[in-house]
Amino acid sequence: MNEHVLDELEAYALGALDRADAERVAAHLALCLACRTEAASLAEVVGTLPDSVPLREPRPTLRERVLAAARVDGRPLAPVRRPWSLGRLRIERVVLAALASTVVVLAAADVGAYRQLSSLTAERDSYSLVVESLRQGGRVWYMVGKDDFAGSGGTLFDPRADGKQPFVLFHDLPPIASGKVLTVWLVSPDSTWARAATFVPDGHDVQAVQMNTGVAGFDRCAVSLDDSPWGKHGTVVMESRIAPPTPTP
Amino acid sequence: MPDPQPADDVLLSSLAARDLSALAALYDRYGRLAYSLAYRILGESEAAEDVVQDAFLSAWRGAGSYRRERGNPRAWLLSIVHHRAVDILRRKTTFRPAPLEIAESLPSDQDTALAAEKNVEHRTVREALEALPQAQRRTIELAYFGGYTHVELSELMGVPLGTVKGRMRIGLQKMRRVLERTR
Repeated sequence: MNEHVLDELEAYALGALDRADAERVAAHLALCLACRTEAASLAEVVGTLPDSVPLREPRPTLRERVLAAARVDGRPLAPVRRPWSLGRLRIERVVLAALASTVVVLAAADVGAYRQLSSLTAERDSYSLVVESLRQGGRVWYMVGKDDFAGSGGTLFDPRADGKQPFVLFHDLPPIASGKVLTVWLVSPDSTWARAATFVPDGHDVQAVQMNTGVAGFDRCAVSLDDSPWGKHGTVVMESRIAPPTPTP
Repeated sequence: MPDPQPADDVLLSSLAARDLSALAALYDRYGRLAYSLAYRILGESEAAEDVVQDAFLSAWRGAGSYRRERGNPRAWLLSIVHHRAVDILRRKTTFRPAPLEIAESLPSDQDTALAAEKNVEHRTVREALEALPQAQRRTIELAYFGGYTHVELSELMGVPLGTVKGRMRIGLQKMRRVLERTR
């Protein structure tokens, strides 16, 4: 087991550790009952601090915003326009565009690759099922690239269908330095980061990346540029946000 | 006799079952406190409202995976508000680290603020915090409301990291003792 983290628990409870240290402490707490007990006790004290704040009244519209956001969140995806996700692009068009770009690149690169068309057809059928399951209530999170990744983005699809793992469809990824990797992270409401996939850009306009974990319990995602496929995350180059409300039609 | 209000745990179970009226009840119960906390941290009403909306939407989505060991529902919800607000604060790298005085004067004394609730719980917490020596109180407030890491506080306050940790530890211990006495 790691060393105890008792002298960092107060800062952890107050949210006063940087992300890497907070992840290290959280990992230790998952394994150490003694530290976890003390952390829970401190969290109880820190949890009273909001009571020291002078109360302010939010605008009455906030209540309706909250409810509208939840109402939209619980609705089937198809009839809803989500400016924070894919703009006016339709999901199935993006998925099929990804497959089409794969076919075009394969055809240009190697005639022998046509042999893979049958498997691609099966893959297309598979994606069709994903699209259908998304229509029935799956989730979509869009990540916006920043800094050197400005102009790129990625859409995380959570099909919520049996046997269908979430995946991310990236577009316009820039090349990265040799030896570097990109990591997809899932972020929980209490800001715990969990690694979901590691990959390198393949140079295509659109690239699909399968995730090795489900998204239950998480509500954001991000991508970091890293030196290796393990350890702490490096520079965050892309991240999502919680969906803002969509006006009720 | 009016029906008793459902307990927070019951509301969260209803949330997990996608009951919108439970979300409305949770908002009515904690929306103002959540907003006040976000405003205290960010000092901007629009940003604070965005944080509150995000937090309640997180609760809506995450209620099914909520576990009691994360704290009671109120603490869980407010911890989401706190994390979100501090995340936003820390992303504003163009002005961080802010001068100590700015961070300290950010929030609470503006004319638009409502008077603090006079119930025992709120008054006890305020008094427990105000009873701390200034250095301990300032360290805790700048960490929790100012979004500063303990390393940043060490630099800003010009004291060793061990001193910052010690102020946090002793300050929270004192608060714990005061709060335990009043329960």
